[in-house]
Amino acid sequence: MHLQPDELIDLAEGTRAESSATHLAECAVCRLQLEELKAMMSAAADVDVPEPSPLFWDHFSARVRQAVDAEGAPRRSFWTWPRVLIPATAVAAAVLAVAVTLNTGETGRVIAPIPAVLPAPVAPLASVDLLSDPQAPDDTALTLVAELSSDMDFEAAREAGLAARGSAEHAVTHLTGSELRELQRLLQEELARSGA
Amino acid sequence: MASSLTWTLPGTWPSRTVTQPTQQTRPVEPGLADLDERALVEACLSGRSAAFDVIVERHRRSVYLLCYRFVSNHEDASDLSQDVFLRAYRGLRSFRGQSSLATWLYRIGVNVCLNRVSAKKPLSESIEDRQFVDEKAESAPDRLLKDERGARVRAAIAQLPRKQRATLVLRMYHEMSHQEIADVLGSSVGAVKANFFHALSNLKKMLGSEVL
Repeated sequence: MHLQPDELIDLAEGTRAESSATHLAECAVCRLQLEELKAMMSAAADVDVPEPSPLFWDHFSARVRQAVDAEGAPRRSFWTWPRVLIPATAVAAAVLAVAVTLNTGETGRVIAPIPAVLPAPVAPLASVDLLSDPQAPDDTALTLVAELSSDMDFEAAREAGLAARGSAEHAVTHLTGSELRELQRLLQEELARSGA
Repeated sequence: MASSLTWTLPGTWPSRTVTQPTQQTRPVEPGLADLDERALVEACLSGRSAAFDVIVERHRRSVYLLCYRFVSNHEDASDLSQDVFLRAYRGLRSFRGQSSLATWLYRIGVNVCLNRVSAKKPLSESIEDRQFVDEKAESAPDRLLKDERGARVRAAIAQLPRKQRATLVLRMYHEMSHQEIADVLGSSVGAVKANFFHALSNLKKMLGSEVL
């Protein structure tokens, strides 16, 4: 059986001694293939890249700097999102569950169950006055959600199916002042009961 | 928006104009040049954009050479290199230090180059590009012969399938280990060796005995 490609590469690169490949001594095909691999490596290694002028590098760095300056600060990566999205999602789930409860309660429909256990990250909400200052930027999760949705208008949200009539989002955005206060009370009650 | 100057390059490029960005002087922060990779990345993320200048300065040549190996002309290699650094800057938060910054930049560079070469055939290099080479060390006939042979090999490399080309470039010209190449290309060491083998075999088929 002839030598495999990875074995021939190891031999051609010298990471494996030819003497260790006993097959090589008795197989002219493999010996020829090995010689051709070495010759191609030598031919490829002999190809230069024209070195740019020293002036080019200053010019290049200036171009990159301009592009980077225009870009602003580096963005939050996808991999760091879960750390803030998980608590944000938990908060959103709790709010939506209560909102659906209130909304469907008025029309006599079946009440959606409130999650029995809420994740720990929602704890800070228990001491937050949800109605006092909707612009307050203290909560990083809410800030992120606000940033992510800042470019989305209501029409786009509705087209995306996020705020269809009858949905929880729609219900929340159409609560009256007293309903919102009741929502806040229920949320705080639920959070206190779950020990969060 | 930054202003720019247009000027004519002297000497070897008499008829060529280049748009030169205005040199923006950024205060040199003491100690930045001494920072290691991770510290430089942290400095960038904390808003010290001058730290990214240091990263660019350290890696611009290797990134440019990588791009040149893919496109075989100065203009495209320059544009692609800029694109590599811009993408790196955008994704800086995703750099976790598990590989070296160079490997991470190579990964971005290979992706940028493979996307470009799949959309655009590589241009043949111009005489202007070749004039960058230091020709003092070789006689004119030797240089000419080497240039011609090099051009044939480059043209053959440009015909290789994408992964074979990337493997050959990273192995032959950037001295990366098989494992590092596997990391960059998202494959196994065995696949890297197989790609390298097929790349060299295909070069042999295309070039025949003319370079042997």
